[in-house]
Amino acid sequence: MNKIKILHMYADMLDLYGDSGNMEIISYRCKMRGIECSVDKYSVDSEMPDFSSYDLIYIGGGADLEQQHISDDLQKCKNGIENAYKNGSFLFLICGGYQLMGKFYRDADGNDIPGLGIFDYYTVAEPNRRKRCIGNIVVRTEFTGKTVDIVGFENHGGQTKDVKTPLGNVLYGHGNCTKSSHEGYFEKNVIATYMHGPCLSKNPEISDYIIEYCANHNNDAPVKLDKLDDELELKCRDIMKERLLNK
Amino acid sequence: MNRLLILIGKIVVAILRLFKRNAGNLPGIILWHLTGGKCCRMFKVDCPIIAVTGTNGKTSVTNCIAQLFEQSGKKIIINKEGNNLDTGICSLLLRYCDNSGKVNADYLILETDESHVPVVYSQLKLETLVVLNFFRDQLDRNGEMETLIRKINGFCETFEGNLLLNGDDPNTTRLGRANPNNKNVKYFHASPYAFATDKIFEASEGRFCPFCGEALNYDYYQYSHIGKFLCPKCGFGGHEPYITAENIDLEKPVFTADGHEYRPQLNSIYNIYNMTAVAGIAKLYGISSEIADNVISKYTVKNGRMETFMLGENKATLNLAKNPVGANMTLRVMNEMQGEKELLFVLNDNVADGLDVSWIWDINFSIFERVTRVVTSGTRAYDIAVRIKCSGYPAQNITVCPELDSAVEELAKTDGRKFVIANYTAVQPTRAALKRYIARLAHVSSFEMMSRQKGGKHE
Repeated sequence: MNKIKILHMYADMLDLYGDSGNMEIISYRCKMRGIECSVDKYSVDSEMPDFSSYDLIYIGGGADLEQQHISDDLQKCKNGIENAYKNGSFLFLICGGYQLMGKFYRDADGNDIPGLGIFDYYTVAEPNRRKRCIGNIVVRTEFTGKTVDIVGFENHGGQTKDVKTPLGNVLYGHGNCTKSSHEGYFEKNVIATYMHGPCLSKNPEISDYIIEYCANHNNDAPVKLDKLDDELELKCRDIMKERLLNK
Repeated sequence: MNRLLILIGKIVVAILRLFKRNAGNLPGIILWHLTGGKCCRMFKVDCPIIAVTGTNGKTSVTNCIAQLFEQSGKKIIINKEGNNLDTGICSLLLRYCDNSGKVNADYLILETDESHVPVVYSQLKLETLVVLNFFRDQLDRNGEMETLIRKINGFCETFEGNLLLNGDDPNTTRLGRANPNNKNVKYFHASPYAFATDKIFEASEGRFCPFCGEALNYDYYQYSHIGKFLCPKCGFGGHEPYITAENIDLEKPVFTADGHEYRPQLNSIYNIYNMTAVAGIAKLYGISSEIADNVISKYTVKNGRMETFMLGENKATLNLAKNPVGANMTLRVMNEMQGEKELLFVLNDNVADGLDVSWIWDINFSIFERVTRVVTSGTRAYDIAVRIKCSGYPAQNITVCPELDSAVEELAKTDGRKFVIANYTAVQPTRAALKRYIARLAHVSSFEMMSRQKGGKHE
């Protein structure tokens, strides 16, 4: 099997609520299965990488200030990221990373930060800075072919609209907009979400969906993943889900 | 109107006392509603107010500053129980004011929550503000850290009093530029200690110049993003120090400042920073270095900050960690110690902890050395277990015991050196559980002794 190549973008600036932990988890789950995986970093003013050579491109979330800092630089990567996505690289995007792949992000002062426009959705920040979508969240998903309720932690002022293919339905919490019914964005090679926590810590199905996709990307023989012992992860999620849905 | 409000407040305090309840926050909350959110405005405070704020170390520094003045023979009022929001400060002043709202003291020394500095001191005249540091802490309560710093910065724009800032933290140092007309901005520093590094060790914020966006250059990092920094583009960080801790030796522990030697009790670099801030206030108010020395050398805490417990023959050190910085610090202390050890990590997610626990992913567990076993507990026992497991630590050496007493039993069942890390609301219950264990042990051993004296031939 080929090695899984990951590009982690703006790790030094977009890293809220343990977002970088997602890379630690992917690496850990690959290592436990003997799958080789490497994580390269890209940040402002790094040399322009060959985006299409990566199986997975990952962008976390940041505060408004950091998002402004990187937005010019991100524009320089537009063609590279868009081509990689079209060539089948997986995009895993959290919060700010999610927002910036849409058409634009309008901040609380009404200024537009242009997005890469790879997807049709757009985001408008809630003008009242105090009104944020904050808290634990439960989302019912079907992307693995089975019903899986995933749990994370959201904290965003941005209201993401025009999402045609959401990741799942909100059972508890806010999702794409305040009190909305949907959360995130999904395509076969895209998972975008507001979930921090980090997102993968309690949701091994998402990790394995991404790893399996990447292992099979550019690979002739189909790869099936070995099962791991996820007792701690699943108990962790069950306890939180139970607490949120039965209170 | 003022008198009526004061009267209502005092009646609430009296009623709470009658029921032997501590008048912590409630009187302030009632007055907050009656005054439309301006519950500190009705007091007449003629004496100077010194406020201490920042993410870590507020309580220690506030208590030490209070002792500086007390030992100088001054009458002071201090919010000792850490009631550091506007409502808590209002409750405190209600207890000490007369019926007209006049507060009689020489100095008010107030620990103040970061987000409440502008709220409280738009109502009460502040003479001196000490800002210790800003770390990611309870982000979900305060929104984002940048918003928090901007709030305090907004307050500093018109503040002309003394501003004593941690000059090794870019997040606090930047406040010194908020009001260019303020001639009373001062910075405290610390020279590098034995474990200072030239690379950043823990995940942190504030790596970019807040004024021009350039990456900051560091001569050294003490811990997290605290260290000697300079912006290569605009010169941010090139300020003149007011007081600097030098010749730091944590083994003893000892440091010097302005040529005077101080011997604090607690041997951590963040305590050195706190005590340097205290020495800075002594200098600012002309308090003798003898008094400062007396305060600094005696100050210690028994509230789960590097507190020691004997679990039978085995020593256990408990340390509070409200954020990655505190936890990383304990891990460093563990690593700097030879021999094998075991760790109990207690993680809660009550409201006061900030409902989110993802900060545990910014703890650098990959540095674990000679840690033979981990026990996890608290309302988020599984979260911390998953986190430690994914850092590469063997899952079979992790035991999850959400209930605290069984977690302490589990920790104590083997011989060896123990460490306990607990977050904010977990610290007191963890102390209590450790004490219960010690009490049970004493009970068992006295029972054994008695049965032996009775001729106990049980073998």
